Amino acid sequence: MNAVHYDTLIIGGGIAGLQAALDLADQGREVLIVERQPSIGGAMIGLSKVFPTLDCSSCITTPKMAAAAHHHRITIFSYSEVEDLTPHEGGYTGTVRRKARFVDEAACIGCRQCEYACPCEVPDEFEGGLGARRAAYVPFGNAIPQVALIDMASCTLCGRCAQVCPKDCIVYDQQDELVPVDVAHVIVATGWQLTSAASKAEYGGAAIANVLSPLTMERLLAPHGPYGHVVRPADGKEPASIAWVQCAGSRDKSLGVPYCSRVCCMYAIKQAMLTSGSLPFADLTIYYMDIRAFGKGYEEFYRSAKAMGIEFVKAKVGRLEEAADRSVDVHIENINDRGQSEVRNHDMVVLSLGMAAVPDTRELLPLAIGDDGFIDVPHPKDAPCRTSLPHVCVAGTASAPMDIVDAIAEASAAAMEVCREGDRG
Amino acid sequence: MAEPTHEPQAKADEAQAEADETQAKPNEAQAEADEPRVGVYVCYCGGNISDVVDVEAVAAEAAKLPGVVTAKTNMFMCSDPGQQVIADDIAELGVNRVVVASCAPSLHQTTFQGVLERSGLNPYLYENANIREQVSWTHHDRAEATKKASALVSAAVAKASRLEPLEPVEIPAAPAVAVVGGGVAGLRAATDLAKAGLAVTLIEKELTLGGTVARLDNLFPYSEPAEDVLCRLCEEALADPRITVHTGTVVESVEGYVGAFTLHLEQQARGRTVEATPDADSREITSLDWRCEAFRGYGPGEAFADEPVAADDAARALSVPVGAIVAATGFDLYVPPEGEYGYGRLPQVITLLDFIEWLSKQPEGSVPTFNGQPVRAVGFIHCVGSRQVEGVHEPGPNGRINEHCSRVCCTATLHCACDLRDKFPDVVAYEFYQDIRAYGRGHEEHYDRASLANVIFLQYDGAQPPKVVAGEGDDHPVLVSCLDGLTWGEEVEVGVDLLVLAVGMVAADVGNLATSLKLPVSADGFLQEVHPKLRPVEQAVNGVLLAGTCQAPKDVTESCASASAAAAKAYGLLASGEVKLDPYVAHVDPELCEGHAACVEECPVDRAIAMEDYPDGSRKAMVNPAICTGCGACVAVCPTQAIDLSGWTLEAYEAMVDALLLSHSEVSAL
Repeated sequence: MNAVHYDTLIIGGGIAGLQAALDLADQGREVLIVERQPSIGGAMIGLSKVFPTLDCSSCITTPKMAAAAHHHRITIFSYSEVEDLTPHEGGYTGTVRRKARFVDEAACIGCRQCEYACPCEVPDEFEGGLGARRAAYVPFGNAIPQVALIDMASCTLCGRCAQVCPKDCIVYDQQDELVPVDVAHVIVATGWQLTSAASKAEYGGAAIANVLSPLTMERLLAPHGPYGHVVRPADGKEPASIAWVQCAGSRDKSLGVPYCSRVCCMYAIKQAMLTSGSLPFADLTIYYMDIRAFGKGYEEFYRSAKAMGIEFVKAKVGRLEEAADRSVDVHIENINDRGQSEVRNHDMVVLSLGMAAVPDTRELLPLAIGDDGFIDVPHPKDAPCRTSLPHVCVAGTASAPMDIVDAIAEASAAAMEVCREGDRG
Repeated sequence: MAEPTHEPQAKADEAQAEADETQAKPNEAQAEADEPRVGVYVCYCGGNISDVVDVEAVAAEAAKLPGVVTAKTNMFMCSDPGQQVIADDIAELGVNRVVVASCAPSLHQTTFQGVLERSGLNPYLYENANIREQVSWTHHDRAEATKKASALVSAAVAKASRLEPLEPVEIPAAPAVAVVGGGVAGLRAATDLAKAGLAVTLIEKELTLGGTVARLDNLFPYSEPAEDVLCRLCEEALADPRITVHTGTVVESVEGYVGAFTLHLEQQARGRTVEATPDADSREITSLDWRCEAFRGYGPGEAFADEPVAADDAARALSVPVGAIVAATGFDLYVPPEGEYGYGRLPQVITLLDFIEWLSKQPEGSVPTFNGQPVRAVGFIHCVGSRQVEGVHEPGPNGRINEHCSRVCCTATLHCACDLRDKFPDVVAYEFYQDIRAYGRGHEEHYDRASLANVIFLQYDGAQPPKVVAGEGDDHPVLVSCLDGLTWGEEVEVGVDLLVLAVGMVAADVGNLATSLKLPVSADGFLQEVHPKLRPVEQAVNGVLLAGTCQAPKDVTESCASASAAAAKAYGLLASGEVKLDPYVAHVDPELCEGHAACVEECPVDRAIAMEDYPDGSRKAMVNPAICTGCGACVAVCPTQAIDLSGWTLEAYEAMVDALLLSHSEVSAL
């Protein structure tokens, strides 16, 4: 099979990958986006609203997703992974594995008849496991492409989806497809993952039902989320008091994450603000070490949160314990109150987990990687997107934790870096 | 039609002629000449709208309006499935006018116009009803908000029914960019654009390049010499024949529009000789003094000449035509008013930048001295001029306090304290801070390093800043006290020999560049982007991009990233050689125009409308659609109603007002 040529391969179809793709395509370059998940959109499409403007996250993400999907110079391989890359004639050749969806992607019209007919229910990862999805499913309402896939690990091969599909596009024996590609440039935009809650035994090691991951809280706050309302996952009770534990996964050498994750202060403040909108009588407390509201309009955002009555307590949380009524006892050393040890009780706790590096590209490309796992660049001050390898740039959180504003700026910068390298010669 | 006077005008006239033609001639290929068939699409905005407005009721009401063939709702109209609903209705129901009731048109008008275009409809047959910013975000009463949303939708439908297809105004774009500001952001943007093949004019008001970074010793977090970063950037900029550098030059005025701006520049007389380009061999001279001299000025044609500029050169004016402008005008350091923390009264109170210079000049292995006195203790106060509190801090010369965080000072101060302790381990360092904001990659390590180096931290509350007094008869000339949060509110007083104020970044006066183009600024005084996530480096003035700290405080990494992003946008804008502008501009019906020229008198924009001689000897008004801003002032004064606005006709306005009044009377009758 002959390799398909593209000017630039972008690994990762989150907000950074999409922005870089749009900028390059506007410059007249042919772009291939390879996204591991069944839909593009990355972490951002799962968020409720975004700081400091409180725009709904979908309103900002979906137009960029749609613009990329409709751009005649952008090709998107979703549910696909780059298998290998080899330097070749001033660029790279490689293989993309297009994982079997067990659905004919070209024929599927996204009507969801298969989903409605499927009898298997499994936890919905898009909803942080709070809702259920079927084994045959379209990932979520705004997904691009609007194409179903079958989760074979959960499928019972009952055949109902194939019976109802109006386009006959269910293919139970579909195989992964290997596509050889040949590209002049590569942009690594593989994003981040949450730091592990399980490894912090003092905080219950992810075993306390009403101690939530921040991404689960995002789904609870999203008006189109699993419940459409903020309730405790353990028992459906409306919480009267909620706490956020800052630096739950960052600035903590015991977790191997000594660095600051840069976004947690702001997302916790934002979540508290949004919670105060949906539960106006709830007590909202943020336990913090330093509030790092450093970006444009962030300090002002922090101040309005304080003015709204959200309580900020300078304290490092030592321990979380589940109480008899499934509420959470929070053990703190309260710096605001003479350093007293206190136990405060909250109906629900959100761990402000941090951003960790994803290992994806390490076996693919011999990139320089820092102790923190993120990609190192030789000139971080004046060329933050230029990696140690020729023709390879980095965009967004693959090079460090950063917020959406900064990731988008770096993505456009990565596109410019590709443009500087010029055409293959 | 009159003879064209010059090239852009001619192109613009052609575009107008084409636009007129399109408007005059019914287009058989498209359905728009048919009876309007309006599709109305009401967005939930994932709750942003539907939490306050009964979206289903708005759609049900809209379905009853004349000309509406379908009215639907969607969780996110801007999503791909939402857009598909519109595309399907255009194909299947013959919808030929589209109204989306959603957020402000500044967010997604182009998104929805794209759907029309992809579906084979003229994109200007689209109308927005803003029921988020103007309804759900401003009202709480569900019933009243729903009625208002319905009223706005009925007005939008009335207008949509009267929309005619339009063509964008296409104007040739100069493949050239002006970068205003020669600091790291300006240098980075200039080299990016030149590498992409555009001609760049780099304008710097000082005689030397490098901006504030030229005054720094080494850069956090990796302690890379500032000089290395600047040399890389300057060498590339000065060596690139596509970049013309004008130092000692300010922007006097700007005219024109995207694709065809003209910058009028004033270059000051240098009165000094400049030497050759700094090269790698001259790097043994590494003092800050040298660097300030090194990145000096060049004029056109001088950049590669070995001959020094004559010492008696005179000031001169220059005009530069460009297609886009990158603002990289940087920031000002906050200047404390006399007496703030003793600044200006006690000589030992200096700024962080002064400290960096001082420290770089202290010989190692001795006791450092300041004004001849030994320095044994140094205090650093964070957030000077940043995170100010109403009622505690005095408003600055601009009449406001600086609520914003300056982003870089925490890590810069930690870095300096560590450098001090490394160089002079016997000197005690105190940091007075509110929150340590060591947010970036490699920043937290400096906080750690400072703690391990026994820097002493004292935490104050922003509403109760530290107090500074002269130490009379004490061991130290300056006494600093604060209520220290880390010792639970205890009042702590320390004596220091040097007090360093970590002054923040404040918005710089962008001068005539901003006033000529009426560039919008944020509440904090910095230049305002269109949207922090959708269009983060673009200004509302089309063709003006933002690079570096003119937008907000940023460190060098972030400045360079935003500069490259601005370059990417400028290049994307100009790459095709043509810029398309919205056709919402005035047009004259020559049949009706009697040559009163009231429009010319009323028009607030230079050269947007003028009287032209016609072959029959009459004089009639003619609009330059590239310059016209579509304000409508001419429409209001024309005694014969010969002028109208494309896309915003008087007839459409009247229909909108009628629709609003009708819904108002229905609301009142309830």
